[in-house]
Amino acid sequence: MNTGLIDGRHITKVYATATGPLVALDDVSFSIREGEFISLVGPSGCGKSTLLSILGGLEEKSDGTLVLAGKHHDAPRPDLGMMFQTSVLFPWRTIRENVRLPGIILGLDKKQQAERCEELIDMVGLKGFGDRYPGELSGGMRQRVALARLLAHDPRVLLMDEPFGALDEFTRETMNVELLRIWEKTGKTVVFVTHNIGEAVFLSDRIFVMTPRPGRLEGIVEVDLPRPRTMEAMRDPRFADHVFNIRRMLGVDH
Amino acid sequence: MSLVHANADDMPAPTGHESMIDRFIAGERRKQRRKHLLHRLLAAGFGLFVLLVWHVATTYGFVHALIIPTPLATFEATGRVMSAEYFWPNVWVTLQEILWGFAIGLASGVILGVGVAMFDTVRATIYPYLVALQAPPKIVLAPIFITWFGFDQASKIAIAVVMCFFPMFLNTLTGLSSVDPNAIKLMRSLTAGRWKTFRYLLLPNALPIMMAGVKLCWTLAVLGVIVGEFVGASAGIGYLIYAMNFQLDIAGVFSLIILLSLFTLVVYQLIEALESRIIFWKQL
Repeated sequence: MNTGLIDGRHITKVYATATGPLVALDDVSFSIREGEFISLVGPSGCGKSTLLSILGGLEEKSDGTLVLAGKHHDAPRPDLGMMFQTSVLFPWRTIRENVRLPGIILGLDKKQQAERCEELIDMVGLKGFGDRYPGELSGGMRQRVALARLLAHDPRVLLMDEPFGALDEFTRETMNVELLRIWEKTGKTVVFVTHNIGEAVFLSDRIFVMTPRPGRLEGIVEVDLPRPRTMEAMRDPRFADHVFNIRRMLGVDH
Repeated sequence: MSLVHANADDMPAPTGHESMIDRFIAGERRKQRRKHLLHRLLAAGFGLFVLLVWHVATTYGFVHALIIPTPLATFEATGRVMSAEYFWPNVWVTLQEILWGFAIGLASGVILGVGVAMFDTVRATIYPYLVALQAPPKIVLAPIFITWFGFDQASKIAIAVVMCFFPMFLNTLTGLSSVDPNAIKLMRSLTAGRWKTFRYLLLPNALPIMMAGVKLCWTLAVLGVIVGEFVGASAGIGYLIYAMNFQLDIAGVFSLIILLSLFTLVVYQLIEALESRIIFWKQL
């Protein structure tokens, strides 16, 4: 029926725990189009990170089907890229060497990768920092490096697990604007996990609102704010409406 | 009022500000240096104090020279021992034993640590036995090893190996296991296999803990060899200490202990220097 880039049908994930089975995801279905910016929003325990791991092929689903680009998908693949709440940079590698890591692991052309990684380091605003080590950089700068590394092997889908969740509010907002700029330039498909509703509205085309115990897809919100978006978007009355609607869907309005 | 004006106009603010900062920094540095010097003086002073107590206690008959020699006698004995014909061949024997024991102990600890960390089947098969073998103090094996491997170097090397193995094994295993789960996820998402994950993530990540193991093993290797030479040997520093003790040459024993300690310490510092180069990122 749906022919998106990623199609999930009745995806269910059950963990066996000491106190009995725990339903982390209960019958979740969705379709994601190529080039879309999707956010998964919900409180802790709603299964958003589990869903992201399943999308990344890192975790097995208990039931349901998942199709990526027309093929059944249940293992990591090089056209996906992952980014985490922590930068996960290797402290013994320079910034440049960290960004080159995906290319090295995947055995990509060295010369092309060298050029591409320099471009990416420039693009995330870290020109001149290539020879530094992660230990010399601030938290925000490290996430910029992680963003460059995410793009190094030119993946088709970016899976981002609360990538700015550990940053302070100001740095996070700057990173949001940067991410949009990069996304608009590259046209990647993004699945972005966050528990920050404002962040989700600001960034996304559509927001998957998820509720916990068991993890369910409560609803999907289409964000009709114009693109390209700048900070101005936050003054749009529709911005506040979306934030309010999502709050209500999550049951935090009473 | 006019004074404020005069100040603002006559003195360019940045320059005054900068010189103030310079002065402040220079002052802070001076304080640091003074503190550093004081600490060194305290340490040196305490050392001199202990030496003085030692000297007074032994020279003026509070402690018999057969129990503790005077500092001067120890110093003289050091010269005598080091220029003796028998000294260097015995040093060579012990040095070889220590280095072989250290190297074999480290290598076996690393190899089995990697094996247990990387392969579930290896872990399931040998891990319980390795832990059980760790239970008895290794020193009790010394007499048995002398029986098994003889009076020569092999038995001392064996004891040093047994002493070194477990700490190195455990530190390797711990180092390879204590890794950020997200880093593992990242490597998996990049479709990195077992060995690429090992080479690019697990091994460098384990190096700090492994180097701590190397340092520990160094002192254990020396300990193992000397104990082995006490239990039964016909050459080596441990044998010399034992023999001199038997001949009541306490000053000679003291000088050997001091020389052995100095040697162990120097190599330990070399390992530390090497460590700070290998795991340079810890200082960033």
